[in-house]
Amino acid sequence: MKRICYAAAPVAGSLNSIAHAEIDARAIAFNCRNCHAESQPGSESSIPSLENLSAQQIRQALLDFKYDKKPATLMPRLAKGYSDAELAAVAEYLNRN
Amino acid sequence: MAGLSRRRFLQGVAGLGAGVLSGCAGLPICAGSKAHVVVVGGGFGGATAAKYLRLLDANIRVTLIEPKVKYITCPGSNWLFAGLSNLDQLTVDYQSLQDRYGVKLLVDRVSSLDAAQRRLRLTGGRSVTYDRLIMSPGIDFRWDAIAGYDQAAAEQFPHAWQAGPQTLLLARQLQAMPDGGVVLIAVPADPYRCPPGPYERASMMAYWLKQHKPRSKILILDAKRSFSKQALFEAGWAKHYGYGTANSLIEWHSLADNPLLELNKQSRVLTSEFGDRFRGNVLNIIPPQTAAQIALQHGLTDSSGWCPVRPLTGESLFDEFIHVIGDAAHYAPIPKSAFAANSEAKACALAVTSLINQKPVVEPHWLNTCYSLIAPEHGVSVAGVYKLDAANTIVPVKGAGGVSVRTDVEAVALEADYTRAVYRSLITDTFG
Ligand SMILES: Cc1cc2nc3c(=O)[nH]c(=O)nc-3n(C[C@H](O)[C@H](O)[C@H](O)COP(=O)(O)OP(=O)(O)OC[C@H]3O[C@@H](n4cnc5c(N)ncnc54)[C@H](O)[C@@H]3O)c2cc1C
Ligand code: HEC
Repeated sequence: MKRICYAAAPVAGSLNSIAHAEIDARAIAFNCRNCHAESQPGSESSIPSLENLSAQQIRQALLDFKYDKKPATLMPRLAKGYSDAELAAVAEYLNRN
Repeated sequence: MAGLSRRRFLQGVAGLGAGVLSGCAGLPICAGSKAHVVVVGGGFGGATAAKYLRLLDANIRVTLIEPKVKYITCPGSNWLFAGLSNLDQLTVDYQSLQDRYGVKLLVDRVSSLDAAQRRLRLTGGRSVTYDRLIMSPGIDFRWDAIAGYDQAAAEQFPHAWQAGPQTLLLARQLQAMPDGGVVLIAVPADPYRCPPGPYERASMMAYWLKQHKPRSKILILDAKRSFSKQALFEAGWAKHYGYGTANSLIEWHSLADNPLLELNKQSRVLTSEFGDRFRGNVLNIIPPQTAAQIALQHGLTDSSGWCPVRPLTGESLFDEFIHVIGDAAHYAPIPKSAFAANSEAKACALAVTSLINQKPVVEPHWLNTCYSLIAPEHGVSVAGVYKLDAANTIVPVKGAGGVSVRTDVEAVALEADYTRAVYRSLITDTFG
């Protein structure tokens, strides 16, 4: 029977705060993929694709949704759930992945 | 923020510490072997968890156990009553999970669980061991809630709350009903799978009846005082189905203080505590629900019938190596939806890979969006963004979420479009 065994717990000092911010963006951004998933060949979706947007464009759109500067049906309700810094990190992450 | 993260980090480590003890106590050292995560249930929660585990860490072996070769989605199944969909269009399989992500699929049912040995027995005779187990087995019904309504009665009076033959049975009954007939939809108290589901169903049935049997009526007999997206549904029903007038195709009755107690199968009558009698031609009885049998049988539920978890990781309160997600688990205030099951699965997959790789567990984020069709060109939605508060309980983020704001013709048509698009992309993200 195969078992995984954990080594001693890492000391708190090894926590890399940059890695932490990166992972936080994943935790949020994974939830965007339900709707903004990779586009399937041959299927046209009415949900706008984020594939051709820069990080800056995604970030600006999210801030505009959050502060009610961009009319929309759904995104303002979602964008208000995150800090400006979180939205910037998510935009950055989505652009890279 | 920093303080919060640090505390969570320490909690993650504390969980690990316990893992070291019970995981390796008395067992030989086996460093270097690949961790094995077993996922039970190939619905929205389980399929998403299996896929994202492999995306996050290809070194983890992932086995998905699901008895059905194909899965029929409940989302979209109400559209069938309006003639807008069929079961084929709602059917998905597990090919991509295997081919694209390397998930190992076992087409089998878990018959028992030995938590001490971290071993599952399958109906087919096999046994499977795990390092961590993720359960997303969905729901079962409380058959004792309405006297006379049991599993056998459901073959005559469908719940259609698990998509498949039950959905077809209900659709056929609706089609066979005489014009001027009455459809009863009995709706349970919270919590249950898909809070807006019964009202979307009534809408879709009304859309079909309006064209084919316009003298008919749908009576919603509700154990609740109010319901999800109520103002939006009622406005839509008024617009399309005469709601609020004598000729309305839909009537909603709250029976919060006067619950339905009994079904008389011969006379097709539901009787309430105060003796009110509701007779129908078609009876769609949606019973109260619990976590699926496998969770009930193995002590993963509390007195509510659902599985309590630590939301940070999804670990069961009763077993640290078993995570529970989806409808079976208690993630309130997050509703029981496919979208939420998908979101819970991602947070859980992140936590499980962190635990296995001895990394701090990151702050989870959950999202829920539920779209419903009131008519083919009239969609409405409700959304929620959820986080942990300082006491590690799940809270909706204040100021975010809520129901559709614009209700003009253009906006509801756009939301109807999004209803279908979100369904398709959720399928792609989960199974594709
Ligand atoms: C009519 C209706 C409409 C809905 N519409 C929507 C919607 O529009 N949007 C939305 O987000 N949600 C919707 N939902 C809710 C959605 O269907 C559920 O919330 C979702 O399916 C929950 O996923 P899950 O993984 O928890 O459970 P399920 O999807 O039920 O999956 C559980 C799986 O576990 C398997 N299983 C059970 N026991 C065992 C065992 N012992 N061994 C192995 N496998 C086992 C089952 O075969 C099943 O495939 C709707 C529900 C209904 C009824
Ligand atoms: C339930 C589906 C859904 C989810 C989840 C979702 N979106 Fe959206 N997104 C939409 C829709 C629909 C639009 C079109 C605008 C509107 O009506 O809200 C949109 C528009 C956008 C746009 C504007 C694109 C453009 O070209 O103008 C951006 C950027 C965006 N979303 C980012 C995100 C991010 C980041 C997340 C995760 C935090 C996210 N979305 C989650 C459905 C979704």
